Amino acid sequence: MFRFLILTLFWMTASIGHAAPLRIEIKNGVIEPLPFAAPQFVAENSAANDLAVDLVNVISQDLVGTGLFRQIPQSAFISTVTSFSSPVEYADWKAINAQALLTGAVSAEGDTVTVKFRVYDVFANQELGTGLKFAGSREGWRRIAHKVADVVYSRITGESGYFDSRVVFVAESGSKGQRRKRLAIMDYDGANVKYLTGSDNIVLAPRFSPTGDRVLYTSYETGFPRIYVMDVGSAERRVLQNAEGTMSFAPRFSPDGNTIVYSLEQGGNTDIHLMDLASGQSRRLTSDASIETAPSFSPDGSQIVFESDRSGSQQLYIMPASGGGAKRISFGEGRYGTPVWSPRGDMIAFTKQSKGRFHIGVMRTDGSEERLLTASFLDEGPTWSPNGRVIMFTRETQGATGAANLYSVDISGRNLKPVPTASGGSDPAWSPLGK
Amino acid sequence: MHIGHYISGGAHAGLIFWALFGGMFQPDPIPLEVSNVSVISSEEFDAITAAYQAPAVETDAPDLTQDAQVDPAPDLTSQPDEQVASLVPPSRPEQQVEVTQPAPVEPLETPQVEPETPVQPEPPQEVAPDLPVTAAKPAPRPADRVAPEAVAPPPEDATIADDVQDSVTLSDAGQVTDAPEQEATAPEAATTEIITEAKDPPSGAPKTSLRPRPRPAEPAPAEPKPEDTPKVNSSSVNSALAEALTDDTPKGPSGPPMTRGEKDGFRVAVQQCWVVDVGSEAANVTVTIAMELDKNGVVDAGSLKLIASEGGSDSGINTAFSAARRAILRCQKDGYKLPIDKYDQWREIEITFNPEDMRTR
Repeated sequence: MFRFLILTLFWMTASIGHAAPLRIEIKNGVIEPLPFAAPQFVAENSAANDLAVDLVNVISQDLVGTGLFRQIPQSAFISTVTSFSSPVEYADWKAINAQALLTGAVSAEGDTVTVKFRVYDVFANQELGTGLKFAGSREGWRRIAHKVADVVYSRITGESGYFDSRVVFVAESGSKGQRRKRLAIMDYDGANVKYLTGSDNIVLAPRFSPTGDRVLYTSYETGFPRIYVMDVGSAERRVLQNAEGTMSFAPRFSPDGNTIVYSLEQGGNTDIHLMDLASGQSRRLTSDASIETAPSFSPDGSQIVFESDRSGSQQLYIMPASGGGAKRISFGEGRYGTPVWSPRGDMIAFTKQSKGRFHIGVMRTDGSEERLLTASFLDEGPTWSPNGRVIMFTRETQGATGAANLYSVDISGRNLKPVPTASGGSDPAWSPLGK
Repeated sequence: MHIGHYISGGAHAGLIFWALFGGMFQPDPIPLEVSNVSVISSEEFDAITAAYQAPAVETDAPDLTQDAQVDPAPDLTSQPDEQVASLVPPSRPEQQVEVTQPAPVEPLETPQVEPETPVQPEPPQEVAPDLPVTAAKPAPRPADRVAPEAVAPPPEDATIADDVQDSVTLSDAGQVTDAPEQEATAPEAATTEIITEAKDPPSGAPKTSLRPRPRPAEPAPAEPKPEDTPKVNSSSVNSALAEALTDDTPKGPSGPPMTRGEKDGFRVAVQQCWVVDVGSEAANVTVTIAMELDKNGVVDAGSLKLIASEGGSDSGINTAFSAARRAILRCQKDGYKLPIDKYDQWREIEITFNPEDMRTR
């Protein structure tokens, strides 16, 4: 006791001698786009003059399109960048409140385009990472721009981008009663649309393989829904499930691309099955009298989320990838469907129907923290961007002139916007990054 | 002479020995309350308690249907006497009695048994009036910027700036002054929360009426935890003594301490530049940054360092640190406005950036 008093006394004496720093806690920040400057790239030869402008435009559109960045107009610039190797005048960029700066140079020789660039943190007076150089064909200049935007996004946010990616979807045209549907593929921003099938048969729910070279989809070519797999490069296809008296639909690849899960309707009952693509052998994963459909693997391939009406209403469940032991995760009002596991593995996107409206929402994999991001006459079919940051979905408008179109929204619920397509579109599926 | 010293030393030693080991510093024993009891037999106890026992209560009510005289009285007000007989089912002849004007039946006296703890009856559910659907609080105005305080959209011709100022131009009369023309500025429009499409406008009608909350229970006095008591040994005492004696650092910050208002002013100055990406992994990371400032309130950029973090991966921590560092450097402009006479108080600052509340917006 006595010695403790002595020790305490000396501790107090010693602590007085040190000036403790002022401690502040900040809990309230702001949510706003980060202003960045992207001066026109330096054209290192005359053949690259047009590209120097176009590249910066596409890169800026990619960044601004996320809702996380705001481009400072070039008319506000104090500094001009005339050489890729010239030092950065940080004070000039701070003066216009540019928090990030992108500089670059482009050269074109024959069919080859070379782009080099650097990213700077203006207020830290330092470069973010090191400079990079991309080379490609002139025809693929947009993809180079997307790749540059992915690097810029990653350097600033610390997360991977999603600009160098594609979307496969059902292109729709014609009036509501006589709508023609065909598979199409495009860049994530709606550019470079290519059609994979004709409009003779109804096609539904295309899904990319993890390597991005194959697409699963459902076609009514035989009069009944059947699952097909198509090679994106050659457009060759084959049917995967063709048993008499059955209907197969809602397919999706496993993360390793070797197996698929799908729904099979047989004798009035719909269950989830697993198929090995190499052998064609199928195995039943559910055996309830209710309807089980819309399966989606977790990123590690260990679990499957699906929808079922076994409780009397349509809800979401998670089961092991080997089947059995399903656990319900949705408990809110309304009906839940079309669940899709996030590439990050932490969230599940879904369609919800409640009180006469459709919503796209997200929840944790245990069903907690449910958030509805959209609301309209008909929203459905979410798909995740490769970095798990954005959700694309189908929105259909009401009435005889109603049409289906693609929309995207940030998982925070901000930045809801239509995805430009030549005609209407539905059932989008995002490819992996760089595929 | 020495004998006196020996006697005095021995006496003092004895006194110290008694003080240390004789129980002088021992706490007094906890006093016990003592009361006298007497031992009695169980028969005596029964005899004593018998006088205080409540009379036995018959819990089984007699079967009143067996006694025609205590048959429930017919409803004399709603049924005429002539029709009562026809209401009796014919299969039960034992209950077919002559219908006369019965004497009023005295209610049975039933003993009241008090429950051990009175149960508060459930209050009737109050139904809120059907109010018109009006927002009790105006819905946040959609804006690209989400900030702690809402800001109305600036005028179209105003430049976005932190301060608000009106435009100044030459008057119609063409008076020439030395003052330069001044552009109108206003802060950027902001809302206080993310407004998704799915959020319905708030209804003005409350769902249920709120009852006042019961008085909170007094907090129990905190008991010192055993592990809070530092373990003391002679080496730690010696090292603390040595450290205290050899410490030659300047003693304590001079001047009065920072007021709450001064701290809040600094906090607000930094937080208005702290941009949080609520959908990113960095929004799950709390970082603490240490820094040093000069007397003009300018941050020494080289002193900025991450001293603590909580949650997230390395990538998320790095992104959260970058955003926090950017906020500190961007909002200082020519230096944070801090009281120069308290420089020793804010020469070193540690700021914790905690985005927990931002995620729920």
